[in-house]
Amino acid sequence: MSVVAASAPSRAEVLQLYRSFLRVARKFTDYNIREYTKRRATDAFRQNRNVSDPCAAFADGKAQLEVASRQAVVYSLYAPKLKSVMEVHN
Amino acid sequence: MASLAQASTALSTSCKPTLALSSRVSSLKSVSFSITGKRFPSLSSRPGRLQVSCSAKPETLNKVCDIVKKQLALPDTTAVTAGSKFTELGADSLDTVEIVMGLEEEFGISVEEDSAQTIATVQDAADLIEKLVEKKA
Repeated sequence: MSVVAASAPSRAEVLQLYRSFLRVARKFTDYNIREYTKRRATDAFRQNRNVSDPCAAFADGKAQLEVASRQAVVYSLYAPKLKSVMEVHN
Repeated sequence: MASLAQASTALSTSCKPTLALSSRVSSLKSVSFSITGKRFPSLSSRPGRLQVSCSAKPETLNKVCDIVKKQLALPDTTAVTAGSKFTELGADSLDTVEIVMGLEEEFGISVEEDSAQTIATVQDAADLIEKLVEKKA
């Protein structure tokens, strides 16, 4: 399986990927998974901010984004009715 | 159709005599009725019916400031004003994205990709929010 040589992602593309992660996170009905997605995306992006070759990290990020968006659909099919205690606002 | 024409002629004749009346009149139509070139001072205090591009409602600004403070974990003593840039407050580009997402959730709007790139100050964010809330309403 040949890997397509992608040119280095621009700053805007990276930020767009980050934004997509946060948008996907919102689709999860489960509080824990939602928070985890946001946290993991933030941590990963911050960890890789100064890396010299962002192509691999960017490709990895895109793959994970696909995973997350697929899982959002799957989880929404079996969403439990009971919300987590963290989401109770009073 | 005829009544509309009558109403518009009534508007055009009524806004000529007094200035006090024209501020209420101009809220029905757009800026084409403003005879003097200057901005009516009552417009910005109106509860958001007419979109003035330079001012944002103070509640919106306050909410934006609160969200920014919470996101960047700033102590309450930090002065977050309309003109303060996110970079000055210690936010990097990832923080800016997070702030914009937080604002999207708070106000129930959806910010476009390129609009989000141009947000640099608190005022920019508040203005964009106002525009999107009005478009949605």
